[in-house]
Amino acid sequence: MQDPEARPANPGLKELVVEASQALARLDAPRLEELALSCQALTRTLNPEDARVRKLLAQQAQEAKADMAVFARVLEVTRGNLNVMSRLRELRAGRVEYTERQARGGADTEERHGDD
Amino acid sequence: MGTINAALSITTAALDANQAALNVVANNVANANTVGYTEETPDWKENAPIYVAGIQVGQGVTETGATSQRNLVLQARLDQQQQLSSGSSARLTALDAMQALFTPDSGTSSSTAGDIGSDITTFFDSFSSLESDPTDNARREQVLSSASTLAGDISGTANSLNEQSASLDQDALGIANQVNSLTSAIAQLNQQIQSTSPNADAGTLEDQRQTDISSLSKLIGINQVKTEDNGLSITTTSGQVLVDEGQNFQLTTGTVNGATDFFLGGTDITSDLATGGGQLGGYLTARDVDIPNALNTLDQLAYSISTSVNAQNNSGTDASGVTGTPANPLNIFSEPAAVAGSAASMSVVMTDPSQIAAAGAGDGTGDNSNAVAMAKLGNETLGGPTTSFSLTENLDSATPVNGTTTGNVQVFDTLGHSYQATVTYTQQGANVWGYSVALPAAAFTSGVSTPVTGTMTFDPVTGNLIQIQPTGAGGPETVGTGVGDVSSIPLSFTGLADGAADLSIGWNLLAANGTSIINQSAAVSGQAGQSQNGFAGQQTPINYYSNFVSTLGATVSEVQIENTAQNASVTQLQTQNDALSSVNLNDEAAAMSTFERSYQAASQVFTMLNSIMASALNLGDQTAVS
Repeated sequence: MQDPEARPANPGLKELVVEASQALARLDAPRLEELALSCQALTRTLNPEDARVRKLLAQQAQEAKADMAVFARVLEVTRGNLNVMSRLRELRAGRVEYTERQARGGADTEERHGDD
Repeated sequence: MGTINAALSITTAALDANQAALNVVANNVANANTVGYTEETPDWKENAPIYVAGIQVGQGVTETGATSQRNLVLQARLDQQQQLSSGSSARLTALDAMQALFTPDSGTSSSTAGDIGSDITTFFDSFSSLESDPTDNARREQVLSSASTLAGDISGTANSLNEQSASLDQDALGIANQVNSLTSAIAQLNQQIQSTSPNADAGTLEDQRQTDISSLSKLIGINQVKTEDNGLSITTTSGQVLVDEGQNFQLTTGTVNGATDFFLGGTDITSDLATGGGQLGGYLTARDVDIPNALNTLDQLAYSISTSVNAQNNSGTDASGVTGTPANPLNIFSEPAAVAGSAASMSVVMTDPSQIAAAGAGDGTGDNSNAVAMAKLGNETLGGPTTSFSLTENLDSATPVNGTTTGNVQVFDTLGHSYQATVTYTQQGANVWGYSVALPAAAFTSGVSTPVTGTMTFDPVTGNLIQIQPTGAGGPETVGTGVGDVSSIPLSFTGLADGAADLSIGWNLLAANGTSIINQSAAVSGQAGQSQNGFAGQQTPINYYSNFVSTLGATVSEVQIENTAQNASVTQLQTQNDALSSVNLNDEAAAMSTFERSYQAASQVFTMLNSIMASALNLGDQTAVS
């Protein structure tokens, strides 16, 4: 049986970050939600008492720093894209409403929006 | 009867509409694999309502055509991100090639550009070795051998960079042809669309136009403007018009300072294209910014080492008891005339190792004090900011009032960055000229260049500069070498954008022998020469080189991050674009929901990972302390 202390404290920190970036690029919501749960679990292992494990964890965090920068940037452009998509949806929704009003003979007015 | 006919009419129209819709669907299936094809959905239009005895009984629908489910907002965002992605990809490719030059190759025994760092150390260490036995010829040969290796690697690297620049130049030239071909095609499509579908979606023509625009976006940074009748204008990101509805404007090229520049309507738009994105932007940024920066660093390094080592060798005594003189210098390296070009031309000119001046001036040939001094050069800061410059200039006495002429000189700040200082002389009246010395606006944090100004007065007979009056001074000052005279104009530039210390430069007005070097005569204005004393930042040679390699690595990393993020952005947008082109509004809402879910989940992941990273890094600190 493998010595637990010989195993990396967190074998997938760098891979986790890279996968998060890739999943976000693909808009893979289920995978991202899985990753969020994984991260929650990961936080519970963050206080190892063994000095070697602590050192290993710190080393892995160091190695993952560049990939975190990528993830941060991907998240930033995603926010930009999401803003564009939100505006787009409003535009398209507006077009649909206009068509419905038009279908009612053009007599529709603004006050008939909403729950009417 | 009328009622029955009306009902039949409604039914027939509905059937026709359904058939037309089926045709649209069939067309979509047939074009499923066509690049750039946008799926179409049938447009349904209500017929006029039918009233029977005052009661509306129906209206029916008519299929009026097909509308591509493209969306200009999304498509424009996609094109914009594609431009950025293509630009950073092209630049990254060039930067990777550059970085490869500076990476030591452990697999080869021959010295390469990547060995410059160790070359510098080996070269200065060879003087340390010579210290212990200054008469040993083998040690002297080792000095020349290591000098030759260093010079060869630096000049080889400079030549490789110049080759990369030439290659990028050719790549950029090829893109200009592609751009012209695409803008021509788009202009033709504009004409077709405006004549056939001025008020409706143009279907396949629109698809074709969009495909061409997307292709253009990968090549060059553009903006799109919709015009009347479904027309389109395209400009560069800086606003120069490439396509104006049915007319396109060709990019032309010309050679300026040995490189290809790009023109539109006679205006040089090269720098605008460089910042605009697309492959062309990436290539031009690498060609005009990244490679020149690397060459400038190598030039300063080569200039610093060559001039300082030569000067030190000329101050000592060689194995034959000879000390170098200006007429017969004991130069180890070819003496560079200026910083620019120093790297490419760096070479060892000394062939006789006995000419290495290991002994101090006036000391016996067994002395090693000059070898010690040369070894120390490796640990001393070389170069520094420009503290003085000289311009040899003639100002045409026939210049009309307010007529101008300019001169320029390259100056260096404390961080080793170079700027072109431009001196503008303005004729103010008989024998009186105004002067203005300015650095580029981009050199300053404020983005504003504040020139140093004043006036100069020339002797009407000799044409020599006899007086100056800096703006703000109490009165004129006499130019000369006598007591109370001035021989230079103090210039001060503060708030440099790169964080360097303020520049204080003396503008020398006299040659070393005290004669005037700025004169007025009845001859064409012009600058006959210039010199300045600044070069490589105040660092040791090895640190200067190491910092450059680190900076290059950081730049590559930064562009890599940008490129990865932009590619991710393009992937996201393409996914959304595909979804919008092929699904109904309900599915579109689902696609949007997925987008929002993804972003929210990713935000959670990022927040937690960020926290984990911070904690983990602290763990490392604590471990290190304990």
